[in-house]
Parts: sequence; structure tokens; C-alpha cells
Amino acid sequence: MARNFRYYGKKRGDRRTGSRMLGSVGEMIFYAAFLLLGCVSGAMLFSFIAIPQWRVNNEFVRSTCVVLEKRINETADDDGPQYRPEFRIRYEIDEVTYLAWTYDIHMSHSGSRENAQQILARFAVTEDPNDPIDYYCWYDPTSPEKAVLVRGTSWWIWLVFIVPASFVLIGGGGLIYSVLRWGKSAERRAAMVQHAIQRDLFDANGKTTREFPNVPNGVDITNSPGTTLAYRLPIGASPAWKLLVVLLACVLWNGIVSVFVVIAVGGHLEGHPDWGLSVFLLPFMAVGIALVVFLVRQLMVTTGVGPTTIEISDHPLLPGKQYELLVSQSGRLRVNSLCVSLVCNEQATYRQGTDTRRETRLVHRREIYRREGFEVGRGLPFEARCNLTAPEAAMHSFKADHNEIQWQVVVAGNAAGWGDFQRSFPVILRPAAGNNNT
Amino acid sequence: MTDSLAIIRFDGNGRVYGAGDTLSGEYRFNGVLPAQIKAVEVSVLWYSEGKGDEDMAVHEFWRSGPDEGERIDPSRPAQFTTTLPNCPLSYEGLIVKIRWCVRVRAILHRGKDVVAQKSFRLGGVPAVEVSAS
Amino acid sequence: MNEHGVPQQIENPFATRHVRPGALPYLFSAGENTDELVKRLRNNGWWGQIIGPHGSGKSALLASLAPAIERAGRKTFLVELHDRQRRLPSGFHAGARTNDPLVVIVDGYEQLGRLQRFRLKRFCRRGGLGLLASAHKAAGLPELFQTSANLDVVQQLVERLQAESATKVGAEEVAERFARHGGNVREILFDLYDLYEARRRHA
Repeated sequence: MARNFRYYGKKRGDRRTGSRMLGSVGEMIFYAAFLLLGCVSGAMLFSFIAIPQWRVNNEFVRSTCVVLEKRINETADDDGPQYRPEFRIRYEIDEVTYLAWTYDIHMSHSGSRENAQQILARFAVTEDPNDPIDYYCWYDPTSPEKAVLVRGTSWWIWLVFIVPASFVLIGGGGLIYSVLRWGKSAERRAAMVQHAIQRDLFDANGKTTREFPNVPNGVDITNSPGTTLAYRLPIGASPAWKLLVVLLACVLWNGIVSVFVVIAVGGHLEGHPDWGLSVFLLPFMAVGIALVVFLVRQLMVTTGVGPTTIEISDHPLLPGKQYELLVSQSGRLRVNSLCVSLVCNEQATYRQGTDTRRETRLVHRREIYRREGFEVGRGLPFEARCNLTAPEAAMHSFKADHNEIQWQVVVAGNAAGWGDFQRSFPVILRPAAGNNNT
Repeated sequence: MTDSLAIIRFDGNGRVYGAGDTLSGEYRFNGVLPAQIKAVEVSVLWYSEGKGDEDMAVHEFWRSGPDEGERIDPSRPAQFTTTLPNCPLSYEGLIVKIRWCVRVRAILHRGKDVVAQKSFRLGGVPAVEVSAS
Repeated sequence: MNEHGVPQQIENPFATRHVRPGALPYLFSAGENTDELVKRLRNNGWWGQIIGPHGSGKSALLASLAPAIERAGRKTFLVELHDRQRRLPSGFHAGARTNDPLVVIVDGYEQLGRLQRFRLKRFCRRGGLGLLASAHKAAGLPELFQTSANLDVVQQLVERLQAESATKVGAEEVAERFARHGGNVREILFDLYDLYEARRRHA
């Protein structure tokens, strides 16, 4: 079968069609171009900036000179006027007199006239030849007509190498990566990635990662200590975010609509009503009012229902083991029902063409605790303790690029006057190490 | 070349493996001459299946052959052995499934690779029922 | 279950690995085939567009056309643009530069911004390259083909997918989903995945 040239090696069902070769070649050319650009620009910067400075500091010979004139050299630039201090000096070497306009080896401009003035002020012009004011200067022994009044190392020298260095890193790294991947089978490339992950020196939970690959380490849970039990579970999605989104939408919509409402009302008050505009605005005002009502309701639910917290005696969960939970519900409300469940969801993400599709499916739910008909008072949160037994033979938590298995403790309730509410708290169910589940 | 195929056999054929167990077996190729082989790769890997894009990870990988400085007779059985990891366990979910297999690939100097794979189960996680309990 | 008492690993024929573009050849209605389209594409100077709604098989058709274009003597260079990807991927120009006759295939052409589209066309024109694009609406290229929902074709597709499966999905079930999803083949197949999964577990 004829093969296609594909930029991205693409898996077609359970067979791989198409040659990766040209795609790899294109990739290598791209990275090689970066590397070449970085090397060439780095070499140019080195030869025009770093080397001259080194020669001034190490090879130029010291002499004395007098300053005959001084000026500020001004040029125009896209960034505005640029200034450079210049001094006309006279010096003698082996009974030969040299004259030169100079300051430092780079003769670079800056945008500050004040800086240039300050530099000029440091050197005095010799007015009286019989009373010369001598200064040190340094001349190039290979071409004595070249001399400088100052030397030393400028710190900004090293900053200019950041750009070519980054090109070299990107190009060199990409080229090495492309070469290593050249002609490799999918399994070999995956194996190389696995070895790279296992060598990650910056993974603080490296041991855990290697022992339980593709199981989230749950560090954000064990980093959060509880006040009564060992850990406080972080909430999956805070209701505050939903409130913020609704608030922004409300402000934006009503802000825009109100401008036109003011114009329409103003017309009516002045006796020149614009009925077309007034009628046109009606549905928009209805939406704006609905948003405000929704916002107020969300605000009341969020503040009225109050935060839900869960603490757990240990984490991560191991199959068959029992854990204690402390559930706390704040607010000022009459709760019709409160239910705590252990839930497992599968999540699959599929990208094809311009579509990204994410689907979540519930695969396990077990009720842990239920209470009905009770009051929660202001400043006196409702608390309940219950036991959670991690399922013996269920699938552990799993996370890969496109597929996940997520375990959560879910608190679902119904409060009089507030309706239903639900809060989710992710947990990690780990497989037992070296345990045969059969 | 249409007659070329790879055969994989597990020791304790077909049994379920547990985390930390040793998976061993052998493979060979029929219809492939030694001179045709550039390299042979054996992988123990898992891949996902279902309604999401496929994920894959290699647990163990071996490569042998003339370009690695080794002589290979593809018709003679070659052994492989590995210690299986703790996870991910094989899983028959609703929209996410995880499958383990051993995959052997003969990379030829000319023509298409000869590939075969044989599945095995890691762990005994039961299949998910369609309606959750 | 096998003799060790654990569930068998049964393939669902509607899993993504079996239904993604390229896994199956594109099924035409009567009278059309890939060679005819390639002939039409060649007559247009190797420039063309494939238009159709979501899930109507544009990507699958591109995957089927690519080998046919190769057989006609032109190499192909595929670019897949995903949601909100407004620019061509880095390295595209380096990779597409070739002395061989080439057709650049862009899946999701309308994702590109106007300037990117202009530059792409100019790049292809100057290099003597072909350009074949898929989009949801007309994109300013010669029209090559319009994909559209067709129940008979979907029925054929389903029959092919489940040819070797013990569990089957019936034609009336396919028709019901075709009507429900407005002919979006991708959504129909996802739905059939769930139906198949439920059916084989209760079998």
C-alpha cells in the first residue's frame, strides 16, 4: 500500500500507516535552523562584544593622555535619541603622537543624556598646554591608534547572550530529541519517555511515582492537615468560582444594556421618546434582570448553605481498609437531607478534527452516610462522623493524557428554601503494592 | 512476506497475573529469514481503549539484533521475562478500558515490520456493571 | 469469563481506535470513489476543499484520499488543526519544502486566521504545491466534495465495524440514532459504543 508523508505520525486503528521519515526530517531541519541561528548570533556577539572587552582588560597597554575636547554624540533611533560621550585625547608612544576620539571599547549609545553628561564631567579638558591634566589611557599594542579612556567589565555583556543561548538550547535539544526518535518504533519511543520520567530529579514524590505509575500522588491532599483528623480534603470545584463567573456575566451584560437604557429613558423624559429603541431593549433588560436574580440566588445559596468540609483519618485509600470521616456543614439552614457517598467516575477525552469531546461516566456509587431533617445554626456547624471502607476489588485511581478514573467523596444535600446543593472532594484510591487482586 | 507471522506464548498460559508477579514466555517468527532482520523489539505495555484517545506506556522494552551486535535466528524461540508493576491494573470499564499485552516486532531491512501481540490480565478488577450500584 | 473466573477482554467495535479517520475507508454513495475525486482534484490544479457539517466524515474522507493522491503521483503532507489552533504548526514550512510534487492537506482549515490562510495559499502557490482543505463551510478553494449525512452509508459502516462481533446492533437502532443526532456520524458511533457495551455485558 502506498504510504503517505505525514507531519504527525498518526495511528490508524491498530495499524500505523505512513512513513514518519519526512516528518522527522522536517522537524530536524527546523531545530537545526534554530541551532545554527543561535550559534551564528552567539559567535557574532562574542567576537564583537566579549573579545574586545577581554583584550582591553588583558592586552591593552597603559599610557597617559590629555583630554583636548569632549562632546556628546547624539543619534536618532527608533527608540528615540541616543547619546554617547566622546573625548578627544592626545597620547604619545615611542615619541609618536596620537590623536583619537574615544571613551570605551564598545562606543555604545544609551538613551540617557544625563548619564552621558555625568561621564563627560569626570574628565577635564586641558586648557593650558603648560599645565596638562593627565589621565590614564590604554592602547592596543597591535594598532596603537586605537585607545580607550576606561576599561573593566560591563555586566550587561552577559545578558545579550541569553537570546542566542536560548536558540542553541531549543535547537540543540530539539535536534538531539529528533535524532534519538529517528526511525524508532512507537514502543521504543514510549520506553524512552518512561525512562526520562523515572529519571526526573525534581519529582519530590519520585518513589511514589515509580511504585504506582499513572496513579496521582495526592500531594495536594496530604499537604492539607485537618483540625481533628489527619487530613482535610480539598474541594473539587469551589462554588466561589461559579459565583464569580455569574457576577462577571451580570456586570458585563447589565453594564452594556444600562448605557442604552439611560439613552432611551432620557429620550422619554425630554419628551422625544424613541419607541423603537425602547421596545428593542426590552428583551435585553429581561435577560439582565434574570441574571441579577440568578446572581442573588447563587450568592444566597453559597453564603446561606455555607462551606462543606471533610476530614479523613488517612490518605491515600487502600483497598479494603476502613477510614474515618468527619463531615462538617456550615450555614444557617434547615436541611431536608444530607448524603455522603463514595463515587467513581471514568473520564475520556477525544480530539478529532476541530472537535474536543470529554465524556464522564459514573461507574461506582456507595452511600456512606445519610441524615434527614435537621437544623444548622449560624456559627454552629453540623458535624457527623462516619466510616468509609475502600472497595476491595475496585479499580484504583488512574490518570493518563486522555483517560482518567477519578474517585471522590460527594456530599449532596437539599436545604429548605435553597434547593439542592452538591460538593465533591477528590480522593486517591491506590492499588495494594504487590497484592494479587484475584 | 505475506506468510510471515510472530507467535507469542506465555508460561502458565492464560492465567491472570498479580502485581509483582513474574511474566515470562517466549516468542518466535515464522517465515522470516535471519538475513532479513534488522532488529527485534519486545515490549510489555499497557494501552487504553474506549471513547477517549488512546494512551500507552511501556513497562519493559528489549531490543536485539544485528544492529545491536547480536545474531538472531528468528525461527528459534527467544525468552522474555519481567516483573510486573503494581499498576495500572487491567480494567474493563464503560468508556475507559486498560489492556496489557506483550508486543513483538521484527524490523526488517525491507518491507513492513512483522508485529504480533498477546494480551494478558494484570490484577482481577471485575468488569464494571452498566448501571452503577 | 475464562477458566480463571475473570472477565474476558472483548473489543467494542465502536471504540475510538476502530472508528477514528483512517481506520476505515470512507464509504461513498453510489457513483463516487476516491479515484474520481482525485481526477477532479487534478483538473483543479490539485487545489480543492471538502465541506460538510460536524461528524459527516470530512477527516475520514481526507484519510482515504491521501493514498489515492499518492497513487496518482503526488506526495501528501497532512496538517491537523484542532479547536482554537489559529496558526500552522511550527516546522510546517520546513517540512513542506520539497522538490517533489506535493499536496498539502489541511484538516480544519477554517481554524486558521485570515492572514494565516493567505500565507498558506501564497506558500503553496509559489511552491507549486497542491492544497486540499476540509472545512465546515466554503473556504475560498475550488469545491471538491460535500460530505453529508446518509443513513444507508452509516448502516454499511456499522455492518463493517461489527462484522466479527458476536453481539450486534440492529439496523433500526442505527436509524433511530441517525435521526436523533441529525446524521452526525461521530455522535452516532459514540452512542452505539454505549449500546454495544450495555448489550454485551447483559448477554
